[in-house]
Amino acid sequence: MYVALDTKDAGGHGLGIHRQQGGATGPVAASSARLTNTELAQLIQRIAHRRDREAFTTIFDHFAPKVKAFLRRRNVSTALADDVTQEAMLAVWRRAEKFDPSKAAASTWIFTIARNLHIDHFRKQARAKKLDEHDPHFQPVGEQQPDELLSRSQDVKTVSEALSVLPDEQRMVLELAFTEGLSHSDVAERLSLPLGTVKSRIRLAMQRLRGALGEVE
Amino acid sequence: MTRRGEMLDDAWYMDYAAGTLKSEGEDVLMAAHVELSDEARGRVEELEKIGAALLMMAPENEPLPFTADDLLAAEGALAPLEVGDVTRHEAYVPQALGDFLQRIHKTIRWEFLGPGLNKAMLWTGPDGEKLWLLKAQPGVAIPQHGHNGSELTLVLKGSFWDGEQQFCPGDVEYADEAAAHDIRIDDGGECICLALTRGKLRYDNPILKLFQVFTGL
Repeated sequence: MYVALDTKDAGGHGLGIHRQQGGATGPVAASSARLTNTELAQLIQRIAHRRDREAFTTIFDHFAPKVKAFLRRRNVSTALADDVTQEAMLAVWRRAEKFDPSKAAASTWIFTIARNLHIDHFRKQARAKKLDEHDPHFQPVGEQQPDELLSRSQDVKTVSEALSVLPDEQRMVLELAFTEGLSHSDVAERLSLPLGTVKSRIRLAMQRLRGALGEVE
Repeated sequence: MTRRGEMLDDAWYMDYAAGTLKSEGEDVLMAAHVELSDEARGRVEELEKIGAALLMMAPENEPLPFTADDLLAAEGALAPLEVGDVTRHEAYVPQALGDFLQRIHKTIRWEFLGPGLNKAMLWTGPDGEKLWLLKAQPGVAIPQHGHNGSELTLVLKGSFWDGEQQFCPGDVEYADEAAAHDIRIDDGGECICLALTRGKLRYDNPILKLFQVFTGL
């Protein structure tokens, strides 16, 4: 569907690995040591060229918990979030040669993989008329204030710094879109704002960010 | 590129990048637009960096019930990646559209729409949205008409004028209920567009209204 990456044969419906909670990685795995964009890109290239399991493990530990957390923030059930995370990481393993470090940072590539797989799942669910995942009464786990989110910057300093200097009202719109998965019209509804106001906030945010984003590695 | 392409509001690119577009029809049309327009792709890539930054800030408060080793062990049992049979489409069909047609098992069948005009219905969404192709011969004029819903039109081949504005491959025109169109196809060659329509077209001319009964648009 999306052109960013073809993930359709990444595994289909997850691998169905469902262990007891806490079995494998302990309560909350500490995030892996700080890795730069360049190091992350090199690890993915090692997977592409040599099927390097150690490199994959490092990439997995760095990104998989983030992908799951990202999906959970979008009200995806734990089971489905686990499935989609498996599919996303499997896509990284199987399609590492599609990663082009001159075009995107590793985190951006993996974001697009997770996003596309998530879309595939909820479109499939919509077709099957099973929309319980998106029941508005279901509250996401670990709801956080936007400001708290911004303090959790990792290897994405430039973008997060750029985001942090945006006026609150502009940053809020981007955060609701990307972290909670709201469309711009959903954002307008959530904030009780006219559609035009949300659109102009997006436009202004993009104008401000454009300069800063160009410099991201 | 010296010419500035016809683009949509930033809100559309945000929804695309965040994966929050409203329907599969929008997914396909936007993916094709992003594929064909360098400017649209640039806009989306900027937004995907924001998505990646916010992904990496997601709070990890749930354990993963599987490790990289579990995943690789399970992966070994999966069939190797296969390149499926790819339906060959004509050159004007963007990959995003070709993939979608293949997935829904649809082939492009042209039907008569009017003098110098052909249409090919591709997909109807649950809310009555229609994704279709329009083929128009050089110099054909589509008289003043409006919409009872909204319409997105992406140029795939050739070009058309709406009043003083020219639309070329990769360009998108968005029309809502208020917009009035006066479209003329360029004399240079046939023009093929991908359109996503909500609601029926509204012709002011009674003969065209009658004509509409037969064409179903």
